[in-house]
Amino acid sequence: MLRLVSKRILGAASREVPAPALQVLPRFYHERVVDHYDNPRNVGSFDKNDPTVGTGLVGAPACGDVMKLQIRVDEKTGKIVDACFKTFGCGSAIASSSVATEWVKGKQMEEVLSIKNTEIAKHLSLPPVKLHCSMLAEDAIKAAVKDYEAKRAKSTSTEATSEEKAATA
Amino acid sequence: MSKKNLFTPLSIFMRKRLTSIPPDFPFNSSQFKCSTSLLSPAPSITPYDRLLHEPSRYFGNVRVSIRSVCSASSQKIESRCWNCHAIPESAPFLVCQSCRSIQPVDKSIDYFDIFGLEKNYDIEVKNLEGEYKNWQKKIHPDLVHSKSEKERDFAAEQSAKVIDAYRTLTRPLSRAIYLLKLEGIEVDDEQTVSDPELLAEILEIREAVEDAADSEALNHIRSEMQEKLKHWSNVFADAFQSRNFEEAKSSIQRMTYYERVTDEVAKKL
Repeated sequence: MLRLVSKRILGAASREVPAPALQVLPRFYHERVVDHYDNPRNVGSFDKNDPTVGTGLVGAPACGDVMKLQIRVDEKTGKIVDACFKTFGCGSAIASSSVATEWVKGKQMEEVLSIKNTEIAKHLSLPPVKLHCSMLAEDAIKAAVKDYEAKRAKSTSTEATSEEKAATA
Repeated sequence: MSKKNLFTPLSIFMRKRLTSIPPDFPFNSSQFKCSTSLLSPAPSITPYDRLLHEPSRYFGNVRVSIRSVCSASSQKIESRCWNCHAIPESAPFLVCQSCRSIQPVDKSIDYFDIFGLEKNYDIEVKNLEGEYKNWQKKIHPDLVHSKSEKERDFAAEQSAKVIDAYRTLTRPLSRAIYLLKLEGIEVDDEQTVSDPELLAEILEIREAVEDAADSEALNHIRSEMQEKLKHWSNVFADAFQSRNFEEAKSSIQRMTYYERVTDEVAKKL
């Protein structure tokens, strides 16, 4: 029985980080990053041609990552009602885009433009070498909003011309 | 050329000495430029080969002044074996030919120099391995167990550099990135790219890899990637030749993406 107890104590002890006499810190993914990886939320795709959907497609050439972030916007209020993402890349990139989709839901379009990559990085405790992943997520948000606005501008201009045609007819 | 004239002022000395150098001296206009424009910074100068081999006769104590003027050539004139002071007979100077001592790493020698290659993208990869093994036979750290700590450190660094050189040059993508780096262009910047066509294509391919049902489908994708890599390799080679660095850079970006897909396929297989 003593053996069992000692094993359990040792088991508990080995999970702690060793005392810093000669410390080489192991690099872990922060538990939030692991959570986003294990329990993915908002993964998926909207129809690109849907007029209420804005699609942001960005990539990081240095590491070969690709990130797609889509938002569904309520036309009348300009509020983002839904968001989804698809990311091919490292765990940090996936987590960053996942966090981005969570944060944009329920916000106004202008509001989400102020989401900074540093906030995402802080939330996920990203190490310096992975900061560009959060940058990618910020760029994806901006690209999605830009795409939606471009779509809306195009559709309102075609509406205007068709109205003119109807008036002159 | 009498020795007593060695102590004359440099300007007079240079004018006198270099005009009276024996005719078989490899004397071309760029070297002449160095000698006459002493006070202005010298352009890239070819080393004074003959002068190098009989320095005491021609320059002796004046070498110090010439070093400060013709700075490009002086790096090559100056390198001698730290052990026996022999002058290097061939480039690159990694090992002394007379006393076999391994030399400290010279930062001006790049990976192409080590393998005696021109700085081109299209190189004979088959020859690299033989050359690599030849070098390791001379500079491997296992050969210097009994030597001084200084030389053991040199061996470790030189050996590491040769290994890096071999790895970088064998793989097409790393070779391409290295070539641009030598031109002063860093491809590895963390900037996001938003070329929608390329990204959409990559997204599709990555999704296909995810959904691939069997190894046949994966192998099919892999061979497609190999083809694309080859195509963009050629685009890079042409762009580099014509010094079109923007296009070279974008070719590298594409190649990076395709390599990434290949890695993912390999993981799945």
